[in-house]
Amino acid sequence: MAQLGQPLSDYQRPHQVHFSPYDFNGGTVLAIAGENYALIATDTRLSQGFSIHSRESPKTYSLSENTVLGCCGFHGDVLTLTKTLGARLQIFEKEHNKPMPTPSVAAMLSTILYYRRFFPYYTHNLVAGLDEEGKGCVYSFDPVGSYEREVYRAKGSASAMLQPLLDNQIGGKNQQGYVVQPMPLDRCIAVVKDVFTSAAERDIYTGDNILISVITKDGLKSEKFPLRKD
Amino acid sequence: MALASVCGFKLGNENSYFGLDVNGPMGVPTWDDALTISEKFTVPCDIDLQSGIYKAFTDDDSKVKIQFHHGTTTLAFRFKHGVIVAVDSRATAGPSIESQTVKKVIEINPYLLGTMAGGAADCMFWERVLARQCRIYELRNKERISVAAASKLLANIVYDYKGMGLSMGTMIVGWDKKGPGLYYVDSDGERLSGNLFSVGSGSVYAYGVLDSVYHWDLSEAEAYDLGRRAIYHATHRDAYSGGVVNLYHMKQTGWEKISQTDTTELHYQYQAEKEKAKK
Amino acid sequence: MECLIGIQGKDFVLLATDTISARSVVAMKDDHDKMYKLSDKLLMAVCGEAGDNIQFSEYIAKNVQLYKMKNGYELSAHAAANFTRRNMAESLRSSRSHLVNLLIAGYDNEQGASLYFLDYLASLNKMPFAIHGYGSLFALSIMDKYYQKDLDLAGAKDLLMKCITEIQKRFIVNLGKFRLRVVDKDGIHDKGMISPEPVKAA
Repeated sequence: MAQLGQPLSDYQRPHQVHFSPYDFNGGTVLAIAGENYALIATDTRLSQGFSIHSRESPKTYSLSENTVLGCCGFHGDVLTLTKTLGARLQIFEKEHNKPMPTPSVAAMLSTILYYRRFFPYYTHNLVAGLDEEGKGCVYSFDPVGSYEREVYRAKGSASAMLQPLLDNQIGGKNQQGYVVQPMPLDRCIAVVKDVFTSAAERDIYTGDNILISVITKDGLKSEKFPLRKD
Repeated sequence: MALASVCGFKLGNENSYFGLDVNGPMGVPTWDDALTISEKFTVPCDIDLQSGIYKAFTDDDSKVKIQFHHGTTTLAFRFKHGVIVAVDSRATAGPSIESQTVKKVIEINPYLLGTMAGGAADCMFWERVLARQCRIYELRNKERISVAAASKLLANIVYDYKGMGLSMGTMIVGWDKKGPGLYYVDSDGERLSGNLFSVGSGSVYAYGVLDSVYHWDLSEAEAYDLGRRAIYHATHRDAYSGGVVNLYHMKQTGWEKISQTDTTELHYQYQAEKEKAKK
Repeated sequence: MECLIGIQGKDFVLLATDTISARSVVAMKDDHDKMYKLSDKLLMAVCGEAGDNIQFSEYIAKNVQLYKMKNGYELSAHAAANFTRRNMAESLRSSRSHLVNLLIAGYDNEQGASLYFLDYLASLNKMPFAIHGYGSLFALSIMDKYYQKDLDLAGAKDLLMKCITEIQKRFIVNLGKFRLRVVDKDGIHDKGMISPEPVKAA
C-alpha cells in the first residue's frame, strides 16, 4: 500500500532526461603578430575530465596559405565550426579566384559565431595571418563573435597562465621606461616554448607537444616541440 | 485585432524583418545556411536543451563556462557645442580582464555614433546591422537618417529578441536637421531621448561627477574635461571599468575623436591637481 | 514604482503620471512623458515593463488612428478601451505578453467623460477614479474619503494634490514631478507639471 504523503505512481511527474549539449575538452592556443610574420602555437592534448583522449590533436587549423585558425573548447563545436569555415572559404576561393584575406576571415568568423548567439559554439578562437600590407595580424574572439585585433593573445584552458607572461615579456605592460619593440622571430619562438613549458607544469589540460606554426609571405612553416607527457 | 486583421496586419513578429519565427529567419537552419551568407539564427529546438545551454552560461559548478565579454562605463551628454561621448575600454568575462583596448564607441557613419555597454558581441553586431540599415535609408531617400529614426530602428530590432537574453545598453548620438541628438536604447526595447545619459556598471559613479558639474553652457574644453573626469572616477571605483578613456565630440560637421588617455595617466594628473588645490 | 492617477470629474477626466524613467536603481530621466494621445479626445497613460510600454501603446494609438482614417469617425472611449483590452488579452495568451498597466481617459458626446482602468492581466473596469502602482496603497483611501461625483477641475486638482502629497510623504521611492493632463469636450489640455512640497518630518 502506498504510504501516506507519497504521491501515487499515476501522478508522478514524467521522466525527465537532462542533457547538456556542451563539454570541455581542454587545449590552449597562443598567437603573436610580428612585423612580417604571424605565429600561432597550440598544445596537442585532447582530454575530457580526467582522461586524456589524444596526445596528437593540435588545435590549429590552416584555413588558407596565410591564415591559421586556433580553436579550442568543446571539440564537437570545434569540428563543426572548422568544417563550416573551411567550406565557406573554399566557396569564396572558387568564386573570387583568390583566397580570402585574413581580416575578412576574421569578420566572417565573427558573424558565423554571432548567428549562434542563442545556441553558441563553445569555442575560443584566434585567427592569425598576414594583413593586406603583409604585416602579421592576430584576431581574438569571444564565444559569440565579439572580436578585436591584437598583437599577442592566449586562449583556452591555460590562457590565464600564458597571458600575464606575454603581457610582461612582449607587451611590457605597466613597466616604466619599457620601450615596446618588434620582436624577432627566433626570440618569439623561444618565448612561446618557455610559456608553454610553464603552463604544462601546472595545467592538466595542457601538455604532450606544442605545434608552432609561423606564417610569412613565403607560406606556412610548422615545428613541433615536446612538453611533459604526464 | 479586428482592425489590424482587416488591414492585413498581424500582431506578433510575422511582419518583422528581423523577427523570431519558427519558419522564418530563425529556427533549425539547414546545412545550406551554414554555407551561404544566411541571416538565420540557430535556436535550440526544445525547452530542455535551452535550459542546458543557459546552465552553461550561469551555473558556477558547470565545468563548461561560456562567458561573454562585457563592456562597462559609457556616458554621453548634449551641450551648447554638440554632444560629448566618453567611454572606458575594459572588457571582462567574469572576473578576468579580457581586454583593455576595446573600442566602445562604434562609428556607425560620419554623423552617427553608438556606444557599447553590456554584451560586447551584441552591441557590435546589432550596431553594424543598424549601420547597414542607415546606409540603405540614405540610398533610398537621398538624405541622412535622423537620430530619432536610427535609434528607433535599433530599439525595434532588439525588441524582437526581447526575453532571449540579449544584453545591450547603448547611446545613439548624432547630428541631424534638428541639431544634436542623443538617445538611450537598451535590450529591453526601451528608448529615451535626453541631455545626459550614462550606461554600464560604472554609470552610477559617472553620474555623480557629471551631475555636479554639468550645465548646458559648458565650453568645449570644460566639456572634454568633464567627460574624461567622469569616466576616470568611474574606472577608479568600478572594477569592471578601466583601461583608457576614449573621447568623441559630435559636431555639425560630424564626429571627431578628441582624445585617448590612459586612466593611470589621468589618475596622477588629477592627484597632482588635488594636491595643488590643497596648498 | 511608477504611478498613474486618474480622476473623473463632472465633464472631464484628469490624468496625472510620474515622470521618472528608471533602469534598476537609476533614474535615467526626470521629465518622461508616460501619456499617449490616441485621438482628439482620448488619452492613455501607460506604465510597466520597459519596451513593452512603448511598443504596446504605439500599436494601440496607431490602430485607433487608423480606424478613424478608415471610417471617418473616431472610436468612443468605451470602444477604444475594449479594443485595447482585447489586444491585451490576446497578447497575454501569446508566447510573450506585454506587461503594461493602463489608464484610458476619454470624452465623447454620448457618454460624456469616462475613465477606464486596464491592467496587464487584461481586466478592464470603468472607474470614477483609479491609481496604478504602489501609489494606490497610500492614495486610494484619500480618494474614497474625499471623492465627489460632480467635482469641478479645481476640486479634482485639490484631491490630486492631497494624493500626491501623501505618496511623497510616505512612499520611500522619490517619484519626482507629476505631469497633468485633462480631457474634456474641447480635447486634451496640458496642465503642466506639479512637484509636491518637500517632505517634512512628522
